[in-house]
Amino acid sequence: MPQVTIDGQTINVPAGTLVVEATKPLGTHIPVFCYHPKLQPVGMCRMCLVEVGTPKLDPATRQPVLDEQGNAVINWMPKMQTGCTTVVSEGMAVRTKTPAVAEARRSILEFLLTSHPLDCPICDKGGECPLQDHTLNYGPGNSRFYVQSKFHNEKVVPLSPLIMLDRERCIQCARCIRFQSEIAGEPVLGFADRGRGLEIVTLDEPPFNSNYSGNTIDICPVGALTSRDFRFTARVFELNDHPSVCQQCSGGCNIYIGARDNDIKRITPRQNEAVNEIWISDKCRFVHHYATAPERLTTPLIRAESDLKPVSWYEALNFIANRVRPVLGEGGGKTIAGLAGDRVSNEDLYLFQKLFRDVLGSDNLDHRVGWSLWNAGQELVKHFGAGIGTNLGELTKNTTILVLGADPQNEQPVMRLRLSKAAGQGANLIVANGRVTKLAAYAKQSLVYKYGAEAYFLWGIVRSVVDADAAKTKRVRGADDLVQNLTLSVAACAEKAGVSAATLQAVGKAFAASENGIVLFGRELMFAMQDDPAVQAALEALVLLSGHFGKQDNGVIGLYPHNNSMGAVDMGVLPDSGPGREPTRNVGLSARDMGLKAKVLYVVAADPATQDPKFRNPGFLIVQDLFLTETAQKADVVLPAASWAERDGTFTNTERRVQYFARALTPKQNARADWEIIRDIALHLGAQWKYDSASDVMNEITKTVPQYAKMEHARLRVTARRRSSVQTVGGDSPEPVLIALGELYGETSGVQWPSSSETNEDAEFEVQFAAPKEDTPAADPYLAVTRSLMDRGSLIQYSEIVQPRIPAAVVEINSHDAEEWNIADGDRVKLTLDTKPPRVLELPAHVDGQVPQGVLAVANNLDGTMNLPMGARAKVEKVN
Amino acid sequence: MFQGLSALIKGMLTTGREMLSPPVTYQYPEIKKPVPPRFRGRHELKRHPDGLEKCIGCSLCAAACPADAIYVKPAANTDAERYSPGERYAASYEINLLRCIFCGFCEEACPTGAIVLEHDYELAYYDRRSAIITKEQLLVAPPESDMSTPRAAADPGNLYAAIPPVKGGIEPVNIVEMAKSK
Repeated sequence: MPQVTIDGQTINVPAGTLVVEATKPLGTHIPVFCYHPKLQPVGMCRMCLVEVGTPKLDPATRQPVLDEQGNAVINWMPKMQTGCTTVVSEGMAVRTKTPAVAEARRSILEFLLTSHPLDCPICDKGGECPLQDHTLNYGPGNSRFYVQSKFHNEKVVPLSPLIMLDRERCIQCARCIRFQSEIAGEPVLGFADRGRGLEIVTLDEPPFNSNYSGNTIDICPVGALTSRDFRFTARVFELNDHPSVCQQCSGGCNIYIGARDNDIKRITPRQNEAVNEIWISDKCRFVHHYATAPERLTTPLIRAESDLKPVSWYEALNFIANRVRPVLGEGGGKTIAGLAGDRVSNEDLYLFQKLFRDVLGSDNLDHRVGWSLWNAGQELVKHFGAGIGTNLGELTKNTTILVLGADPQNEQPVMRLRLSKAAGQGANLIVANGRVTKLAAYAKQSLVYKYGAEAYFLWGIVRSVVDADAAKTKRVRGADDLVQNLTLSVAACAEKAGVSAATLQAVGKAFAASENGIVLFGRELMFAMQDDPAVQAALEALVLLSGHFGKQDNGVIGLYPHNNSMGAVDMGVLPDSGPGREPTRNVGLSARDMGLKAKVLYVVAADPATQDPKFRNPGFLIVQDLFLTETAQKADVVLPAASWAERDGTFTNTERRVQYFARALTPKQNARADWEIIRDIALHLGAQWKYDSASDVMNEITKTVPQYAKMEHARLRVTARRRSSVQTVGGDSPEPVLIALGELYGETSGVQWPSSSETNEDAEFEVQFAAPKEDTPAADPYLAVTRSLMDRGSLIQYSEIVQPRIPAAVVEINSHDAEEWNIADGDRVKLTLDTKPPRVLELPAHVDGQVPQGVLAVANNLDGTMNLPMGARAKVEKVN
Repeated sequence: MFQGLSALIKGMLTTGREMLSPPVTYQYPEIKKPVPPRFRGRHELKRHPDGLEKCIGCSLCAAACPADAIYVKPAANTDAERYSPGERYAASYEINLLRCIFCGFCEEACPTGAIVLEHDYELAYYDRRSAIITKEQLLVAPPESDMSTPRAAADPGNLYAAIPPVKGGIEPVNIVEMAKSK
């Protein structure tokens, strides 16, 4: 580790550290504009100029020359150097506080301000603006320029529906351009022209159409890029930032809710190096309006003669108790069923299942409606979930990441950033899916298998692991039987899966030989798992025989759809499994059968009526939701729930990290938190429950769910400061150093629960062979159902600002198929699905190289494409 | 005795002088006492000579206010409805006069000279709610009746000069001339 002297203090920093980073442990901050710790340094703004010198070496001995006092003689460089591009070297000396440095900073600031409008009072960045701060700390104090002689440029330029550009304020640091190309991988911004005319332009149509565009607002060091959602709604110093967790996908990105006047003004990322670093997607940032929408339910409603009329909580709860008690008396709980969406918190879900199992004596409960119907592979997660401490963004070349049947770009957008970051650091990223996804561009190896042949594909990899003698049998039972039963050859599997045998062998070898291995499986593979049990068996065999489980940086990660899909399983909102994922004695009705056999249905935060057109009120229907959904319109009792911003609780993200979110707003009128309503219903039914807060519920969860032991709110709230690799001389630095600039967002929090292979180090697991399902050959192309990040979901409709970003539905067709069917890009196409009854869609065709021959891809969450069945066969006709 | 008499005369002289001098009390409220020019009374929101509001809704007054008496809700100007020069105006501006301590910090913080503590000191109310004065009450009348806001912009598309170019009289310096004179 080179030793550097900064303003007379010495410090040891790792080789390769930049001067701007090396000074941070000493509390010396060098002001910067273009440098950002997450981006490659470019040295454009010259704000970080410092005096740098290297020790004078004796030409003969190559030893430092010492002066009379015994100190090394420093050769100061004749001109100042940029701290953000200078890498430390042994014996380097840096001076950051000399008059020359101060003068350089003053000059740079004066230069930048010649074309900066100084309209800070009306600028949305004002108050958290590095240019303001640096001008105050290092600037000239007064101007030598008459304000009117300043350079003027365009002011209100809508760069995209979400972002406003002010060309006058831009200081041309290129952070936004570099973020889009280096991190987001969507290089849609660029510089045009040069000199005074240099300006930011978008090279995209529709303009700046990136899922990550909002992050450029945060990293812009001036007010050039501002949010059009937050525009002129408040000053940043008037906001109260409440730590929270995003509700839009299962990634569990940490956010701040910036609240004022009991309203969400903006969402900003909260730094958590283990989850989202400092990034969030545009969905997370801009789709929060539903929480404060005027359409929200504000009071309980009960059905009186065909109409829903507002009543008090007392009336509503009594009404429920009076109707439920006789049903309980008649058939016990057998005819009472419950459906809870996987968007509500762990506390709500726990009390929901407790209400059913303890109070109503019923196992008829489920969380799988809509997309969550596809949740599969929970057993794999329970036993082989990626080890505690796994950080996808920090994986390097000793790790192989196998991503199967997933599209993180559209489903877990920030995870995509972290996977591409890991690939950039040298991790061996292998992406396999039935089509080409955005992530494939970062993969060391990208495979496209045939949809429906996932089991062959996986058994082929297992076979090649076995053939290469790379199979590990530690903690594995039945390995020999498996090898015997696995009669499929790699070549046969490869042929069925539509890939080459050599590729399968290479993947198997790379995965088994790698020191660490992680398997991520997504929605498309989960569909295959439900369709064919052999897929899960093969995946389990692959994980076990490669030995990649039960320790850090090893194991599986299931990419589930919603923010608390993981918690819903942990809490036991399933007909056959209770809290802690323990199988129950009785198996109740699942979501599919509830409509037919139940008499009383209690629906929390779910809308089965939009998924199933045949949905009807089974006799007595209780709906608890934010809005008067289609299901709620059929209900006998509608209960107004508080949104996630109006209460506290915990969500468990797709990496099994339990994270606490705080309350930011007071609930709308009579709305109550879900757990509160469930408790009140139980109390009205005679239960003796004593929960006064969400943390009371969590305290009970820590005792009844073994995985959640020691996860009281107080512990989850504790934020741990991450240690930086930069340390001072003589051991650890007294104060850990965060790698960030003036824009610190927060710190790491949340706790992962351990998989069973990790808690019990001696547990053995059985592998079994399962024969893949024989595919029935079909002439028509396969319909692959994809998802779009910005969708026509039930919550996004309340955010007007993102509506232009919701794409129109298209059907993606392979160019060879298109040629054969005589379809050109943009033609309208009629699809007839082989469902019963046949469903007909008419969509514009998008001919590109993303889908293989024989596959059509349609996003099933856009206008006119809701609830498409994956794997259907579709007849394609051109519409004239 | 003479001593007592002289004291009496002295006293009566004072009385007589005061009887003949004009009274210092006023017949308030019929007659109002003029206040010193820098007296800090009730606030007013000023207008530019062209009738546009000086207030740009920047909330710096609210940030400076030690009593947290000011609430500002900003919004964006459009060409069809222009309130103030520049991009931003105050959609809502409220001062709670029960909280206000008339320190004048808001005046000092204002970058456009929009808020001024004027000479109105008759600040009594029958209820607390009416002590919260709104933007309509604060805003002065436009110089001409056709200069009220909002109005269509005379210069569509021009969103510059939210902050007046010179505040406090910083004169332009001609650097070229300065260099020549040296």
